[in-house]
Amino acid sequence: MIGFDLVSKRYEGDHQALTDVSFSVEAGEMAFVTGHSGAGKSTLLKLLAMIERPTNGVVTLDGQKLNTVRPSDIPRIRRKLGMVFQDHRLLMDRTVFANVELPLVIAGVAPADRGRRVRAALEKVGLLSYEKQLPGSLSTGEQQRVGIARAIVAKPAVLIADEPTGNLDPQLAMEIMGLFAEFQQVGTAVLVASHDLMLIKRMKKRVVVLDHGKLVADVPATEVV
Amino acid sequence: MNAVREQRRQPEPEKTRRSGPRHVSAWREHHVWSLSISLRRLGARPLGTLLTVAVMGVALALPLAFYLLLGNVQRMGDALGRNQSISAFMKPGQNGAMAETAASALRGRPEVAEIVVRTPKDGLDELAEVQGFSGSLQSLDVNPLPYVLSVQPKPGLPVEQVDRLVEAMKATPGVDMVQDTGAWRQRLDALLGVGSRAVSLLALLLGIAALLVVGNTIRVDIQSRSAEIGVLLLIGASRPFVRRPYLYAGIWLGLLAGILAVVLAVVLELAMAGPVGRLTAAYDGSVSFGGLPAWLLLSVPFASALLGWLGARLVSARQIRRAAMA
Repeated sequence: MIGFDLVSKRYEGDHQALTDVSFSVEAGEMAFVTGHSGAGKSTLLKLLAMIERPTNGVVTLDGQKLNTVRPSDIPRIRRKLGMVFQDHRLLMDRTVFANVELPLVIAGVAPADRGRRVRAALEKVGLLSYEKQLPGSLSTGEQQRVGIARAIVAKPAVLIADEPTGNLDPQLAMEIMGLFAEFQQVGTAVLVASHDLMLIKRMKKRVVVLDHGKLVADVPATEVV
Repeated sequence: MNAVREQRRQPEPEKTRRSGPRHVSAWREHHVWSLSISLRRLGARPLGTLLTVAVMGVALALPLAFYLLLGNVQRMGDALGRNQSISAFMKPGQNGAMAETAASALRGRPEVAEIVVRTPKDGLDELAEVQGFSGSLQSLDVNPLPYVLSVQPKPGLPVEQVDRLVEAMKATPGVDMVQDTGAWRQRLDALLGVGSRAVSLLALLLGIAALLVVGNTIRVDIQSRSAEIGVLLLIGASRPFVRRPYLYAGIWLGLLAGILAVVLAVVLELAMAGPVGRLTAAYDGSVSFGGLPAWLLLSVPFASALLGWLGARLVSARQIRRAAMA
């Protein structure tokens, strides 16, 4: 589902963010990418979201090589991804419902169907009763859950999250991770970048460790202690 | 786990490949959404929208006002100049047969629409109708007035051809003098031509101004929404999708400004009705006031909406590209 094959990324100014990183995440699998700040976690996700292009190597998503994708095809491929950001990136002047509805609007889903699916997604993250509120009136954890509802509403094949629990207390962070684990169980490939080792250990999922842009460990879920 | 079971029952992920009816339906949904979101955005900042529409509306109303003015001056000139013919006074002693010969010679010219031969008696009768002359005319033993050829040039004749006709009349045997009473009309036509060109140029300039106003409004709007644009692009929106609400906003601004311009022009017409009515009465109804034609009033909002769309289109692509890069 997700593949990195000898992927390197060098930014302008000669900063080497990734060096020959190779691993894959299959459908129905959840993996954490961890490492210290600047290890290359976010760069990895940016390559997958086609915000950046690799300097070398091949990134694949659902069998498609992202290196050779034409700019006009990027939106279509991004619709296969659900993205959760540390800072939520919600539209603060739109209601919770309107925020979650956006991916369906982009996909051209009819309004009646949109309403049903948005409510289903909000129910999944426990925010059904908040649909008419503005994100600004919600707590940070609730805003993050709105972000997750938006990421899953179009039922993407792949869910990626960049430090999704960075601003949350441990209990809330576990709840959010529990949600991700649920999506993994229905066949979604989930890739989460996080530096919270305690949380990662408790989740007992596969862990890919980066250090200075190099993959230094790929620990299967069964070996996480 | 209930949530998981529910998800299992749900259909496969959204198909992202384009297919016929599905693509048409998505296209329709995108436009409906863009249309409503653009209206909501304009409604969310009513003062800004009102000011933009007012500036554009007044800018578009000005050429309409000048068009109205020019049209009525033209109409007035037509009405007053309808009977302004060129008169050729025959030399004293010329009789009716000689006057007819001269008239026949001129009738063959391409510039001439009509020639009426007025006898000295006709002239005397006309003078008698003028208040205060009847008594003094009765005391005349001999009619001193000459035969007059009243030549009506063809309508819309260029000044050069009228001048050529006047010269031909002067050269006609038996003609004593020629009086071109329609010369003022030619000057008026020339002035109207200048005015008409000025109005066209003014309309063009103000149209460009309206276009720039919309463009700047949309540019500022896009700048203030750069974060939102970034999010939309990240979650799979195409640039045309992101751009569409701004194009609709341009259309709405243009349409509203066009309607305002028409309303202002109609108010101007109504405000002019009183003084023009008095002017009409002074000319015994031979002069009438004409409003702006219906086709023009109907086409202004559409043309203005087109301007709004164009203004939005010119700036949106570049601004969205910038926002995406930011």
